[in-house]
Amino acid sequence: MSNGFKGSRGPTRRGIIAAGAAAATVSGFPYINRMAHAQGAPLKFWQFYAPGGSVESQVNWFTQLVADWNASHEKQIELEYVPNTEYMNGTKLATSFASGEGPDIFIISPGDFLRYYNGGVLQDLTPHIDPAVQADYPAEVMASRKVDDKIYAIPMEVDPMAMYYSVKAFDDAGLNENDIPKTWDEFLELGKKLTNGDRFGAMFHTAPGYYQNFTWYPFLWQTGADFQKDGKSAFDSPGTVQALKFWQDAIETGIAPRQMLGGGANDLTANLASGYCAIQNCGVWGISQMRANAPDFEYGVFRLPVPEGGKYVTVGGGWAFAANSRGKDPETAAEFCAWALAAKDEASVQRGVDWVTKAKSNMPPRTSGFEVGGDLFQQGTLGTFANEIATSMRAEPRMPPQVYKIISDAIQAAQLGGQNPQDVASSASKQIDAFLASYRGAPIL
Amino acid sequence: MAATPSPPRKRPRLSAKHREWLSGYLFVLPDALGLLIFLGIPMAMSFVIALFRVDGFGGYQFIGLANYRQMLADPVFWQSTWVTLKYAVFLVPLTYVTGLGLALLVQRTNRYNSVVRLMYFAPHMVSLVVVALVWQFMVIDKIGIVSRFLSAIGLSGVSLLGNPDFALFTVVIVSVWFLMGYYMLIFLGGLQDIPKEYYEAARVDGAGPIARFWFITLPLLKPTSFFIILVSTVAATAGAQAFDIIYVMTQGGPSNSTSVLIIYVYQQAFGFGAFGYAAAIASTLVVFLMAFTVVFYAMTRGGRFTYE
Repeated sequence: MSNGFKGSRGPTRRGIIAAGAAAATVSGFPYINRMAHAQGAPLKFWQFYAPGGSVESQVNWFTQLVADWNASHEKQIELEYVPNTEYMNGTKLATSFASGEGPDIFIISPGDFLRYYNGGVLQDLTPHIDPAVQADYPAEVMASRKVDDKIYAIPMEVDPMAMYYSVKAFDDAGLNENDIPKTWDEFLELGKKLTNGDRFGAMFHTAPGYYQNFTWYPFLWQTGADFQKDGKSAFDSPGTVQALKFWQDAIETGIAPRQMLGGGANDLTANLASGYCAIQNCGVWGISQMRANAPDFEYGVFRLPVPEGGKYVTVGGGWAFAANSRGKDPETAAEFCAWALAAKDEASVQRGVDWVTKAKSNMPPRTSGFEVGGDLFQQGTLGTFANEIATSMRAEPRMPPQVYKIISDAIQAAQLGGQNPQDVASSASKQIDAFLASYRGAPIL
Repeated sequence: MAATPSPPRKRPRLSAKHREWLSGYLFVLPDALGLLIFLGIPMAMSFVIALFRVDGFGGYQFIGLANYRQMLADPVFWQSTWVTLKYAVFLVPLTYVTGLGLALLVQRTNRYNSVVRLMYFAPHMVSLVVVALVWQFMVIDKIGIVSRFLSAIGLSGVSLLGNPDFALFTVVIVSVWFLMGYYMLIFLGGLQDIPKEYYEAARVDGAGPIARFWFITLPLLKPTSFFIILVSTVAATAGAQAFDIIYVMTQGGPSNSTSVLIIYVYQQAFGFGAFGYAAAIASTLVVFLMAFTVVFYAMTRGGRFTYE
C-alpha cells in the first residue's frame, strides 16, 4: 500500500530529541571557546563607574586610564562595569571570588578590606610603589590598607563627611549662616525650626549597612570613645551611649526621617535638593552629585557638630584599587594599580587630581595632589572641605563583617528601635568581646 | 537446487507500549536533568557545605556541626526565626481569606467579572522589585500618599516602614496585595469544581448563603485549601516574594524587624562570605519545611476528602 506522503512523514519524536541534543551541544561551543582563550585574555577590572556608568566624567576617566595603559603595555586591561548596588550588596563579587573566578583588579572600601585580606586574595602592591611615593600618602590615609607595613590597596580618593544645608530652607525659616550649629544640642534645636509638614529638619542614614556605620563613626569618636582598644571591646562607654542617643534623639524628636528617598542619605539630589530635608549628612562626593543633577540648587556645607566638651573629627572613607592575588596575572595587576595611582611621574599625580576634581569631588589621597591641584582646593565648596572640614579626619575603620554587624545592629536598635542606648552598647560590647577572643586575622583598625 | 536464502534477521523491536514509555521519559528528561542539576545537586551540596567553614574565597575547612552550634547560639538567628514565624502567621491566613474572598466575589462568569478578575490579578504580573519600589514611595514618611492619608486622619508621624512596630506588617500587606490575585485564580478553579446541584439542593432545603458557604463551599474546597496553605507557607518562609519585597523595601531593617531567615542567609553568604554558616541556616530551613509538609499532609490527608 503506498503512502501519499512517502519520504515526507514530518518530524518524529526521536528527530525532535536528536535536534535538541545537537542544538545543546553546539550552543556549548562558546563556553568551550572561552576556556580555550582564557590564557591570552585581558585582565578584567571590575568597578561601578565605567563603561556603563551614569556620570560621563567618571566613565571618561576610567576609559582613558585603561586606554593609556593598553597603549603602552603588552598586557591589556579591560573594564567591566558592575552597577553600584550589585557591586556593594549583590552576589556577583561574592560568588565569583568563591568560585575562584574573581576579577584581576577591583576596587574595595576600607570597611571591606579585612574580609579580602583575611581571605588571602589581596596582592602585595608595595614592590611596585616607589618609597618616595609611599611617603606621599599621609599615614592615616594608608593605614587601613596596610598590614605589616605592606600595602595591599591604593586609595583613589578620600571622602570626608559633613553636613549640607539648603539655603532656601534656611531663608524660609528666617535663618542664616550665623545659625549654623556647632554642638549636637544646637543641631537638634535648629532641626526643630527647619521641620514642617512637608520637610524634615535633618537627615542621617537609616538603612542598615556598611555606609550607615561609616557615617556614625565620627559621632562616636567626637565623644572620645571608640569600638575597641588594645584588642578588647571599648564599646560599652558613656561616649558610645551619647553618640547612639544623639541619633536616637534626632529620630524621636521628629526632625530626622526614618525613611530616606532615592539612594539614601548619600543621595543629595533625591533628599536635600528635592526639599525632603533641610540638612543632610553626606560626604564630599555630594558636590559632584549636585553639579551634575541639581546645578541650580543653592546649598552650603558645614562641619559636623560636636557634643559639649567633645573634639571635632570627621571620617574619611574612599575606594581603593586592589589586585587579586589569585587572578590570572597578579604581578601585572599590581603593576597597573601602582602605575595608575601611585607612580612617581606627574601623569599619575595629575590623573589622581583629575579624578577628585573633574570626574568626582573628593580630597586627593596624596599630599602632592593638593600641590598639583592648587587653587582647585581653595575655591568653592571643595575649598571648604579642604580647609575647614577635612582638617581633622580619621580613616574609616576596617573590621571583620561580624564586628560590623554587631555595631550595625546597635545603631539600628538605638536609632530606629528606640532601645535604651546603654543597654544596646553593653550588649554589643559583650558580643564584640566574644568575637575578638577568637579572632585571628589582620589587625582591626 | 539452490538453497533459499534465509530472510534477514530482524532486530528485536520495542513494543509500542515500551516505545511510548521511552518517548515519554525522554521528553521529561531535559526538565528532570534541569531540576537535578540546578535544584537537587545544589540542595545536596548545601547540606555538605554546612559542615565546612567557607571563607568566601575558595577556602574550605571541615568543622563538622560547628556551624549548627553557632546557629543555635546566634541571637540574630533566633530573632530572624521569630520574624519569619510572625511573617508566616500573618501572611498565610490573610492571603487565604483575601484570595477566597476575591474568588467568591468574581465567581460568576460574565464580562464585568472577567475585567475585575484581571484587575485583581494585575499586581501579580508586575515585577516584585517594581511592586516594592512603588509601595516604598507610597508609604515614605510625611510625603508618601499613604502617609499623607494617615496625617489627614490624625495619625501623623507614623512611619510604616521606618518603625520596627509597623514595618513587618507593612511588608505583609504588600505581600498580600501581590499574591491575592494568584490565589484568587486557584480558588476560582476549586469553586468551579463544586457541583451546582449541591447549592440548588441546599437552597431547596432553606440554607442561607452563610450556611451554604460553611457546609458546602468550605468543605469541598479542602483540596484547594490544602494546596494554598502549603504553598503560601512555603512562600512566606522561603519564597522569592518574601526576599525581594523585604530586600528592596527595608533590607531587613529597621532594627532587624523584617529580617526573615532568607534575608539573614543572604547577608551571611553574600555580605560576609560565610557560605558555610549560611548553608547551615538554609538547610535547617529546608528540613523544617519538609517536616511541616509531612505533618500537614498527614493531618489533612493531603487535602483528600474523608471518603477517598
